[in-house]
Amino acid sequence: MIRKPLLAACVAGLLALTAACGSGDGGGNESGETALTYLVFETPSLDAKFWDASIAAATAQTPGVKINKIVAPSTDRDGYAKQLQQSGQFPDLLQSITPSNFVGAGLLKPYDKTWIDANFLLPSANSLKGEVYIPPTNSQIVPQVYYNKKLFAQAGIAAAPKTWAEFLDACAKLKAKNINPIELGGADPFAASMPLVGIISADILGKNKNWLQDRYADKVKFADQDVVTAVQKYRTLVSSGYFDKGALGVKYADSITRFTSGKSAMYPMGSWFLGSVPKDTADDFGSFPWPTDDGSVVVPFVGGGSMAISAKAKDTALAEKFGQAWSLNPANLKALIETDGAFPMLKGKTLDDYGVTVTQVFKDSYAYVGQDNNKVNAIGWATNDDALPPGLNDAFYAAAQALFSKDDVAGEMKKLDDAWKTAVQ
Amino acid sequence: MRKKHLKAGERGLTLLAALALLLYLVFLVLPLLLSLRSSFTNENPLKATNDFVGFANYTEMASDDALKASLTFTLILAFGVTVAANALGVGFAMLLNRTSLSYRVMRTLAFLPQVLSGVIVGFVWQTILTQNGLLNTALLKVGILDEPYPWLGSPHAALFSIGLVVTWVMSGFTTVVYLAALQSIPLELNDMASLDGVRGTQRFRKITWPMLAPGTTISVTISLITVLKLYDIITVLTGGGPANSTQSTALYIVKLAFTSDRVGYASAVAMLLLAISAVVALVVTGALRRREVSL
Repeated sequence: MIRKPLLAACVAGLLALTAACGSGDGGGNESGETALTYLVFETPSLDAKFWDASIAAATAQTPGVKINKIVAPSTDRDGYAKQLQQSGQFPDLLQSITPSNFVGAGLLKPYDKTWIDANFLLPSANSLKGEVYIPPTNSQIVPQVYYNKKLFAQAGIAAAPKTWAEFLDACAKLKAKNINPIELGGADPFAASMPLVGIISADILGKNKNWLQDRYADKVKFADQDVVTAVQKYRTLVSSGYFDKGALGVKYADSITRFTSGKSAMYPMGSWFLGSVPKDTADDFGSFPWPTDDGSVVVPFVGGGSMAISAKAKDTALAEKFGQAWSLNPANLKALIETDGAFPMLKGKTLDDYGVTVTQVFKDSYAYVGQDNNKVNAIGWATNDDALPPGLNDAFYAAAQALFSKDDVAGEMKKLDDAWKTAVQ
Repeated sequence: MRKKHLKAGERGLTLLAALALLLYLVFLVLPLLLSLRSSFTNENPLKATNDFVGFANYTEMASDDALKASLTFTLILAFGVTVAANALGVGFAMLLNRTSLSYRVMRTLAFLPQVLSGVIVGFVWQTILTQNGLLNTALLKVGILDEPYPWLGSPHAALFSIGLVVTWVMSGFTTVVYLAALQSIPLELNDMASLDGVRGTQRFRKITWPMLAPGTTISVTISLITVLKLYDIITVLTGGGPANSTQSTALYIVKLAFTSDRVGYASAVAMLLLAISAVVALVVTGALRRREVSL
């Protein structure tokens, strides 16, 4: 029989143990500062040094704040934020998450719209039901097609393809010269989906910008004939042997080195690839928008940005001030431009204002942002009202990988519709 | 004085037992009960829903193709790895059942994969098995392959590759179990067998293998359970790809809970995996125990 004092001692010990395992941030410290947790993620470009420096700079402009950095174990910060939320540790500030995943549960606080309107070129780029949860500090094109000018010349291709027919012709010429036409880092699901993002964004969203809203309203489906016809183009690329046979075994990081070292002629990827273009051979590379049937330019566009604020942050006003300071710091944008290929979207500034050194291929790609062209929300990447429902990205990636070896385009599109139905239930 | 000392010892033991029981209840039984409760709800923390839905999650499983695919993959992997790792374990144990220093060093090396974290194992093997990995580089160099083979890039090859890696890890454990079992075989038995002229494979079949029966029960059961809940190695090696073809049920549960936010349904699938693991463990242990008795 367990005596009560013993049981009480056990419970006390357990509580002490639990307390010791907890985060232990009390929300303030001896100097009267308010401690806020900030979820970031690290990549080779955005390393610990970058985050520490950017936090220090924004902290200096936000009196009374102390930032406790939390690093996501992978680049899937949405998944990690959800884990933290379910264990009662939702961070006060969250870098580059998808707000639509969290707004439904009232977890995020929108930014002051006057401040957003005053500071950004496209204030509504990240707008979700009229509110902005992530300041639209920068943007990306997802994907563009990057190409190797030397390999194109070797295959006798005079100019970057504009139409789908020209694109297929270029692929055929490259293959005839024993050059792998298209690089694909297919082992990483997001990278595997790049051609599909390009095709659907260009052929479907390019013709109907509201397609995703229509999908939410059940007016259109992935299994509709126009989508199936478009996705069939991907199968054409696969069955014609325009990707490496083992492309689904190539890691994303390896795909970059393979392309930049001249093992493949073209590389569909988000504009963050521009940060990986080798400076010494940068002039060998060019870019063009994903080709359409008629050659019209469609730019799959994504408003990127800085951090979201937890609606339950210890001090939401202070958190917003920190977020504003971080978002407007030109040094942060400089790093994002140079290493992550981000296109800056702050009002009243040119590239020169950031003191950046960028390649010609960066400048050519950035030009599409300023041009009056058909910009659409890149499917699977938008963080605004056109964001996919939770879990759909995974289904989309799986379809991209499945279609690499399966011919059943209609069947895979139906699976996406089924996944959509489950996700929005 | 002695009586008082004993009483203090008893108190200490009771305290430890109570603490262990409490930890067990709080960290195992309670989460299990909470998960069971959740499996009857539509819990979705990001939609703020948590209503009782009866057996809806359990009935949904019947039409969930992704779940069926993950279970098929998991069961094939579990049985394949269990057979391979146990066969290797017996083989290595027979080879390493010597007392000299070099054999002791080799035993340590054989156990090494088992002490590595699954994440590290995954990263190590990823550098070997990717398209530009060490294996393809070596095979291309010696002319065995004309072009890189997609070890992780096609569904069948990825299943085989994961099986290979997990077998490598598990064989460390099985080797140690079978070594211990081998060392418990009375020397007299082997001596008598030698006198009777029983040697080689006949001695293995008639003496060694039957005497390894208790070790087989432990090794097979633990191998099966370990692979049925496998998550880390697969996550690092393939992330469940290509096209979810290597998505284990454990990985599917995590994706349901933290990507699709369907915590209630994920709990129901977790309950199913628990039930399958329990049934498999009971059946296999029962069968192997009966074999021990009949031997």
